[in-house]
Amino acid sequence: MMKQLFPIRHVIGYIASLVLSAAALAVIYGDFSHAANIVILSVTALIQASLQLFLFMHIGESADTKKELYINLAYALFVGLVTIFGTLYIFVWGWYS
Amino acid sequence: MNFDIEKFKVHGEPLIYGAMISIALASIGIVVGLTVFKKWGWLWREWLTTVDHKRIGVMYILAALLMLFRGGIDALMMRLQTAAPEMKFLDAQHYNEVFTTHGLIMILFMAMPFIIGLMNVVVPLQIGARDVAFPRLNAVSFWLFFFGAMLLNISFVIGGSPDAGWSAYFPLASLEFSPTVGNNYYSLALQISGIGTLMTGVNFIVTILKMRAPGMKLMRMPMFTWSVLITNVIIVFAFPVLTVALALMMFDRLFGSQFFTMANGGMDMLWANLFWVWGHPEVYIVILPAFGIYSEIIATFSRKNLYGYTSMVASMLIISLLSFVVWAHHFYTMGQGVMVNSFFSISTMAIAVPTGVKIFNWLFTLRKGRISFTTPMLYSLAFIPIFTIGGVTGVMLAMASADYQYHNTMFLVAHFHYVLIPGAVFAVIAGFHYWFPKVFGFRLNERLGKHAFWWIIISFNVAFFPLFILGLMGMTRRMYTYSAETGFGPLNMISFAGALGLAIGFVILVYNIYWSTRYMPRDESGDPWDARTLEWATKSPIPEYNFAVVPNVKSRDPLWAMKYDKQPLFEDKITKIHMPSNTGKPFILGVVFFFLGFFLVFSMWIPAIVAGVGVLIVLAAMSFDRDHGFYIPADKVIKTEKKLGGGTV
Amino acid sequence: MKVDTSKPLEYSTQENSNRIFGFWVFLGAEIALFATLFTVFFVLVNRFAEGPSGSELFEVGPLLAETFLLLTSSFTIGLAVHAMRHQYKRAMLVFFGITLLMGLGFLGIEISEFVTYVHEGATLQTSGFLSSLFVLLGTHGAHVTFGFLWGAAIMIQLMREGINPATANKSFIFSLYWHFLDVVWIFIFSFVYLKGLM
Repeated sequence: MMKQLFPIRHVIGYIASLVLSAAALAVIYGDFSHAANIVILSVTALIQASLQLFLFMHIGESADTKKELYINLAYALFVGLVTIFGTLYIFVWGWYS
Repeated sequence: MNFDIEKFKVHGEPLIYGAMISIALASIGIVVGLTVFKKWGWLWREWLTTVDHKRIGVMYILAALLMLFRGGIDALMMRLQTAAPEMKFLDAQHYNEVFTTHGLIMILFMAMPFIIGLMNVVVPLQIGARDVAFPRLNAVSFWLFFFGAMLLNISFVIGGSPDAGWSAYFPLASLEFSPTVGNNYYSLALQISGIGTLMTGVNFIVTILKMRAPGMKLMRMPMFTWSVLITNVIIVFAFPVLTVALALMMFDRLFGSQFFTMANGGMDMLWANLFWVWGHPEVYIVILPAFGIYSEIIATFSRKNLYGYTSMVASMLIISLLSFVVWAHHFYTMGQGVMVNSFFSISTMAIAVPTGVKIFNWLFTLRKGRISFTTPMLYSLAFIPIFTIGGVTGVMLAMASADYQYHNTMFLVAHFHYVLIPGAVFAVIAGFHYWFPKVFGFRLNERLGKHAFWWIIISFNVAFFPLFILGLMGMTRRMYTYSAETGFGPLNMISFAGALGLAIGFVILVYNIYWSTRYMPRDESGDPWDARTLEWATKSPIPEYNFAVVPNVKSRDPLWAMKYDKQPLFEDKITKIHMPSNTGKPFILGVVFFFLGFFLVFSMWIPAIVAGVGVLIVLAAMSFDRDHGFYIPADKVIKTEKKLGGGTV
Repeated sequence: MKVDTSKPLEYSTQENSNRIFGFWVFLGAEIALFATLFTVFFVLVNRFAEGPSGSELFEVGPLLAETFLLLTSSFTIGLAVHAMRHQYKRAMLVFFGITLLMGLGFLGIEISEFVTYVHEGATLQTSGFLSSLFVLLGTHGAHVTFGFLWGAAIMIQLMREGINPATANKSFIFSLYWHFLDVVWIFIFSFVYLKGLM
């Protein structure tokens, strides 16, 4: 019964997400360079997001929509990242000075 | 809450009183008419509660036509005010309101709903489906759009219209510089209809990807359906940006936040940035479906299949991605560095390449075709050269350094009218003439249609070509008057004459609808143009279940293959058909959203909270609803098919 | 309505699997929405005007509590869907209930945080940075609030009707929504709070 209620994939995913959140705290308690901190945050956040997506949300489970879901996600990430980095490019990195 | 009746009043201007009276008279007229002819029940049962994609499409198009006239009257007022130096027809404030609402209405409440209306009517038919994926959500989309549009329209007589341009740049649109409620209307009306549009986007993506008839592979879809699919992908990813931008605007104006302010760490330019992150893809949202419409019409009336199908699809996909990486070309002069401008300059010019591919594909489709010059075909043929002028001047504007000269002049105004009018307006008119017989069972009169066409096409050029020259002479956009010494007078007068001509053209177009309704013979065939795609394979007017039998698609032009290659299309027997039942909740949701928006516009917090709770209650009621629709029995389907006659089943 | 028994209950009719697919598309739109809010935040993040900066404002304790609650609730809603697929109605309802309670706990902490900020003189009106902070967090919080109400409505339907194609479909879609909110929170946790505290 316990095994059926607590499937091992979910338990591992949950523990991993707690560990990754704790690991991200290194940026405030550790002593790394700014660049290293950003890398730590990006890596832990991305892995955690993937955990949710693949282990909990079962993005790949339905065969007849799998391809569409990945394209949808890729398009959303494209637009989101273009908006974030394009805007920063305009107002911060590429600003006339 | 401090209740102050003065806030609601708009003063001065006999024009505004005229508008108030005409709105009141029209409303009373509608109410009295419905009561006298006992049509309330009919209106509720057949239209307000409908979930039928065809009826929803028709309502979208009706609303769009109404808005076309509202926006058109705005345009006439603007052209009259600038027709001669020192005109006194409108004052500066009123002129600001008129050009702002003209832009908003034409883009968001005319072009968008017209296109969404056509996609509602046509797309499920083209893919051989019985309805869209989520019929009730579709009704929600329509009513949110409709009440958003109504909210914007009442601003003219209650409290004052938005007056900071359709792009509502900060700091001008801030509470400090635009103290009337006009821009509150802007943020809320657009927000409400924008949510509806986003839902349309989701709905049509699922419909096109999941509801196609057997055998209708992606690369067998008609080009209009392809263009709608890509358009809706852009809608889904671009509209959230507008949602956020409008929400932040509302926070700035209603709750004193510091997003776009000049002091306290706000950044006014961020608004322009967000607006165009949405705004440029929006241009393609209205133009891509137009490309699809032209592709259908040109292929049908050249009696050939579409040239370069694959490259058509590929170019639209490329446009959809590029449309998200060009937005800074709307504000080259804002202060970003040379590298930024160079990047956006190049990406903008790159869009001309896939667009050029499409133009050549249409030309090659025409080549050696047996062309019949029907009204929809005339619009399509006129589109090609006029749109090319718009496109080429767009490349001129794309060059950042040259743009410092053109920026915010009438040259820009001429450019985007040369793109949007052939690229969106001619397309929806062409599509309207083309699909009209499918929906209503009779054609529009060709002679009147051609009269309207020539008035519109010639007057369009008379109205807008002078603006290119005026722009190069130095006339900036949005100036409400000018002195005689500038020399702007004569060309502006010509432009006004063109605007009058356009108005005549549109009046003929509407008269044609009236005339054809009375006198045109019924089209029994269901396929009056000898067309190629599935929507023409069912009866006209379309029965509520669309297809008595779901078609089996085996090629790209299935109807053509059936007619001329004797390829069977409908192979199954007629069985009972499942249909979704009507519901009044989407309409009620729209009404509640309208009041929520209205109360927020006037900062009436307690009523706003009540309306907000009302929204949640309607949503909950929809969640608890268990309606599984109903079945139309097979014998009733057979009876309907016999009654509509002709056709191919 | 045609029921396909080879698939999980929540996918079993054409309409159900359309809904799930449609909701994924909607989540794509939500990604664009939150990306835009992050854009605004990143542009305004150093514009404090007279107000406090992130490092003066943020506290690690409540942050970790919020994170723990949301991560755990995302885990339990996953378990609820798993139980649903095995037709364990009771277990499903328990996990579902725990999820919503944790969501409520998260909201409680977030609201008390906001109250603290305001008491320290950091309001929506203070600076560009604070406006963008409040609206980014507030939008996420509003999503959680809406999720709580929505989830409660689904739980009532589950208790009334049991696990059937309609309720299973709604529950599954709700779980997607809830996991998505957790993903958004991870990015807020990393790039708003931790980066601010760096």
